[in-house]
Amino acid sequence: MALGSTHQHPATPLPLLPSVAKNFKISKHPTYRWELNPFVQLAHRPTDDWTEHSSPGSIVLDTRDLSKVYGRGKQRFEAVKQVSLTLRQGEVLAFLGPNGAGKTTTIKMIAGLVRPTQGQVTVAGEDPHRQPRALRHIGAVLEGNRNLYWRLTPEENLEYFGVLRQVPRKVAHRRGLELLARFGLEEKRSTPVQKLSRGMQQKVAIAIALIHNPKLLLLDEPTLGLDVEAGEMVKALVRQIAQEGRAILLTTHQLDVAEELSDRVAIIRRGQIIAEQSTEALLKEFSSSTYHLEVEGELSPQQIHTVTQLGATVQGAQITYAGTPENLYGLLGALSPVPLVAVQRDRADLTQVFLKLVKDHPDANS
Amino acid sequence: MIDLLQAELKRTWIQFIRYPTEVISGIVIIMAVFYGLFASAQYMAGPGFAFGDRLDAVVLGYAMWTLIISVNNDIAINLQIEAETGTLEQVFLSPYGAPRVFLARAFASLALRLVILMVVLLLLMGISGSRLAFPPMLLLPLVSLLLAGYGLAFLMGAVALVFKRVQQILGIFQFLLLFLLAAPLEEATGLMQYLRFLIPMLPSTGLLRDLMARGLGLDWFTYGLALLNGMVYFALGLLVFRWAEATAKQRGSLSGY
Repeated sequence: MALGSTHQHPATPLPLLPSVAKNFKISKHPTYRWELNPFVQLAHRPTDDWTEHSSPGSIVLDTRDLSKVYGRGKQRFEAVKQVSLTLRQGEVLAFLGPNGAGKTTTIKMIAGLVRPTQGQVTVAGEDPHRQPRALRHIGAVLEGNRNLYWRLTPEENLEYFGVLRQVPRKVAHRRGLELLARFGLEEKRSTPVQKLSRGMQQKVAIAIALIHNPKLLLLDEPTLGLDVEAGEMVKALVRQIAQEGRAILLTTHQLDVAEELSDRVAIIRRGQIIAEQSTEALLKEFSSSTYHLEVEGELSPQQIHTVTQLGATVQGAQITYAGTPENLYGLLGALSPVPLVAVQRDRADLTQVFLKLVKDHPDANS
Repeated sequence: MIDLLQAELKRTWIQFIRYPTEVISGIVIIMAVFYGLFASAQYMAGPGFAFGDRLDAVVLGYAMWTLIISVNNDIAINLQIEAETGTLEQVFLSPYGAPRVFLARAFASLALRLVILMVVLLLLMGISGSRLAFPPMLLLPLVSLLLAGYGLAFLMGAVALVFKRVQQILGIFQFLLLFLLAAPLEEATGLMQYLRFLIPMLPSTGLLRDLMARGLGLDWFTYGLALLNGMVYFALGLLVFRWAEATAKQRGSLSGY
């Protein structure tokens, strides 16, 4: 599930003419792929010009020293401590942490639903706590919430929430139909939401979060409670949405999902960020330099001697080597001409990284 | 804002008619109560207040009573329901701001109730052959009454936002409403004849009684004070609601219930 070594930040300048480039996006996983994105095209029609567009790679979310304290005296509890995050257009940040670490409080402070005790939130240059206008840039699917009116159909929900986000009614209706078509929900457009499957409801909730063409999408546990198929569907949607150039802040306990979708990871523990870097760099940092080699057939006693001298251990056709990458080539030379079946470097996954960071952090046992 | 109002009207209407059995049973109950009133069984109206013994006055009194109770409870109950069902935070994500959204919702729900009430009354007039007549001038004190009513509704909404569980308070509040709607303080002498203008809705209900029961015309000076009373309570309700929103955001308890 690890990211490929060709992984690159999607905000990297693309070798395309600007007029062409804005309608094309790069697919991040597993290999680069150029594709025409009809949603982006529609969003640029003059009639839809009711939101502004950021320049590629520009900062969408900026939080500075966000803190939240609940209660006073003995009841005082610091839920979030000086959290600073930056998120650029087209970037997916996985915001991870154990239960009660402060993820949801941080997300709600970003969305203007919880007022920070200290610090500042800026979304596309506007503060959602001071300028209600800033909420036009934010779409959110919040955990533990239905996010939808169950008596209304997906079509009705989309139109209603579009208007609630200040999209003109007719535009909201048209965009709602486009989103339903894009999310494969056309057939269910007139079915009351409460009769839809959990996966479909989640897709409708994500569509609603996009109805006003926000620059920032906050997804709190978007795959929670979904079966495998629905979870895959939602993951694919998240990828598409990021490819459109939206910034996505994602919280999840499913670390394979985070690893697969994120460009960067921020890990929060007891309200404090304990790690924040690119997913790839974090995985690399925690990956060991141990290589596992498999050969076809048996090695000669001379080969076993040489290989052992280089620091490797041999068990039948399996060789384990924990030396420097340079000596690896000496090892490979010593194995010649026995055919190689596999050469693999030990690679940490995000679950290992997360557990190590959360358990090993200095205040883990405090 | 017009778009928002239309969207709220549509949402309220769809949610109302989505399950026809609910609609039919609701209308049957309202028709039964009003049929009782038409058949001179005034006790059907429960603790309502009347503007006299004439059928018009009894029907108007009961209609007003149910309308004001629903207006007053509307915002608080909706806030609680939406917190429970998990749509409240999405509403607070609106760039319109919560007070405007809830105001639009209150108007939509009032419009729906008025439509139901009118349909029921027209049906009953058809069935019973009775005729109701109301002086159009009634609309003026009705507006000032509803303004103050919405002010109180926002106050109750504020209570719901900060304290969450409001059923008990709403129950007790109905007794207070009974006083506000039924106490004939316009006949009071001494200091109370002036103080009554400070109490929410009282000046408007006094004017309604003047028009319906006493057969008097509209006293424009009193109406001006009643309108001022309505506007002040409406503004106060909005201010307290804003404070409650800020407090709930401060406590991080917006979606709690």
